[in-house]
Amino acid sequence: MIQLDNVTKVHRRGRTEVHALCGVTCEIAAGSLTFIVGPSGSGKSTLLYLMGALDEPTSGDVRVNNRSLSGLSGRERDAFRREQVGFVFQSFNLLANLDAVDNTIVPFMPRGVSHELRARAVDLLCRVGLRDRLDHRPSELSGGEQQRVAIARALLKQPLLVLADEPTGEVDSQTGAVIFGHLRELQAERQTTVIVVTHDERYILPGDRVIKIRDGRIAR
Amino acid sequence: MLKFALRNLMSRPVRSLLSFLGLTVAIVGMVGLFSVARGVDHTLTSTFGRIPGLLAMQPGAPIPLFSRIPADWEQEIAAVEGVATVNSEVWQRVNLIDGKMIMSPPRFLFGTNIETRLRLESDPYRQDMLPGGRFLNVDDVGTRNTVISKQIAEEFHVGPGDVLNVNGYELTVVGIYHCGSLLLDTAVILDIGQVRAMSRFDAGSVSAFYIEPIADIDDRQLSQEIRDIFRGRDLEPWRPSASDLNVGPRTGAWGAVLEFFSQPRKSPNSPKAADGPAPKVVPERRSSSAASEAKGKQVDRSGSSLEFPLEVRSATEWSERFSDLTADLNLFLGVMTAIGVSIATLSIVNTMLMSVSERLIEFGILKANGWSRIDVLKLITCESAALGLTGGVVGSALGWVVVGIINSQWPERVQLYASPGLLAFSVCFATALGVLGGLYPAVWAMRISPMEAIRRG
Repeated sequence: MIQLDNVTKVHRRGRTEVHALCGVTCEIAAGSLTFIVGPSGSGKSTLLYLMGALDEPTSGDVRVNNRSLSGLSGRERDAFRREQVGFVFQSFNLLANLDAVDNTIVPFMPRGVSHELRARAVDLLCRVGLRDRLDHRPSELSGGEQQRVAIARALLKQPLLVLADEPTGEVDSQTGAVIFGHLRELQAERQTTVIVVTHDERYILPGDRVIKIRDGRIAR
Repeated sequence: MLKFALRNLMSRPVRSLLSFLGLTVAIVGMVGLFSVARGVDHTLTSTFGRIPGLLAMQPGAPIPLFSRIPADWEQEIAAVEGVATVNSEVWQRVNLIDGKMIMSPPRFLFGTNIETRLRLESDPYRQDMLPGGRFLNVDDVGTRNTVISKQIAEEFHVGPGDVLNVNGYELTVVGIYHCGSLLLDTAVILDIGQVRAMSRFDAGSVSAFYIEPIADIDDRQLSQEIRDIFRGRDLEPWRPSASDLNVGPRTGAWGAVLEFFSQPRKSPNSPKAADGPAPKVVPERRSSSAASEAKGKQVDRSGSSLEFPLEVRSATEWSERFSDLTADLNLFLGVMTAIGVSIATLSIVNTMLMSVSERLIEFGILKANGWSRIDVLKLITCESAALGLTGGVVGSALGWVVVGIINSQWPERVQLYASPGLLAFSVCFATALGVLGGLYPAVWAMRISPMEAIRRG
């Protein structure tokens, strides 16, 4: 369960203040697939990053499983992201020096990578159709393949929460469908809470939870 | 993480290579420069370590070449209990060999009392004779037969039986020695009387006495006993010996001058000033007025009025004195090294700063995936430490090779020594520099918020 209570976020750029979110309050059920939709600059990504403890709200509270993220120390936020949140970014954000397997296990590198973990990473990559691309670096992969590596990376830690920011923003529609297919399949299988920010509503199916956001507020 | 760090370095090969080369060159320079100081220390230690006896010289003289002491003190030293043999030495600089001016490396005429020399139990020159020749013996007294170092023999292409012209005098080489020391392998050894004659050295003086103690005697105690004999005695000023002055009739003004210098002029404390055996005078500490009086006396015409006119030290103590002389050299080398190392450090900081600024998004991704600030710090520090370590290892290895090449190319001029300790220190130092150089960029990267980094991307 994710609860947002009157969350505001103000970005300051020099003397200019940009109100990205203005009093957002909502709840997202555990194990659900939720879409956050809205026009560019409406505050979708900001909301997503607040839920992933990548950023802190200016005011209000974000709670995940009844635990307030505002009260977490820096170390606890790192641990929260490391253990409970998987991110999928629009521009894939893979590390150019690492191959597909190492990109998948990179969150665990500082604390050591076991053979079992590596085997799980290979298995996940195979599940998303990258059996022949395991030792390929990002520059040797297509956009769709890179995004599938990013999904594998997000899911390897078996997170409570997967946050995807425009995961199909840089791939064609056919590849986008494949990516959403993987997300849905893994969400259903593992009962992971998946929140997807998108402005492409073609991938939303009947029954999916949709939060529409406009000018930093939830649109009714 | 180390593997990841190495991959990051290798993904920017040119920049990493330049930074690595900068540090490597600095470490090569550091090894080379400190090898000079270490070489001096090593040479001193190895040389003086082979000389078990004591050396008596004029106080303050750094080497026998600059020392003058009365020759007749030899008997008094020899009479001291615990002294086995006393060998008189006269040292002079060689200016010309076979018409060639000798500047660097320096060569020395070493005049030795052959009879007492042969009684020494331990003599590095005699013990390190090369086959085909011989050391000096009593038959060589009064002759210009000489033993020379291997380096001199090779430089002037002479061997036993050949003639070597030194300072205009023809010497017959009877043997060649090789001690393997830059300090010892510089001598042209011959009879002390011949060196005096060749160099117009006063017959009543010597440069130094080499004192060989009997076995199991305490060096420091023996030194003190010998010094005490001469305590308070004046070190007379130089004057021509009577034999030198017995040339031609003493007439006219020059005759008067010669007559003046030929008169015996002994100091009151000199043993020869009184009849009978040498008195072992131990004067009380002088009052300031007495000291002033003594000082005046010194200025007047008498000898030096130092409390101890003879300095007696073991080889180890002399080597410590040399070490004092090399302190300034160490300071200079340290400054030069610091300049080189500072440049290398800035190079690492620059490399790592550029690397970090290019990888802000990467750090954002890592943080988004749960890497802590310390993890990011570790990654960047690992990268810079790897640069430092490789630069240190390669730099030390190259420095060692360069030192070896220099030693083999100019064995007569330099003796550098890249000790294992120096090489190990260089590697550790370079690694520490790498870590320090990467620290600022690492802290910078550590503080970047993941949101900011991702938004920049």
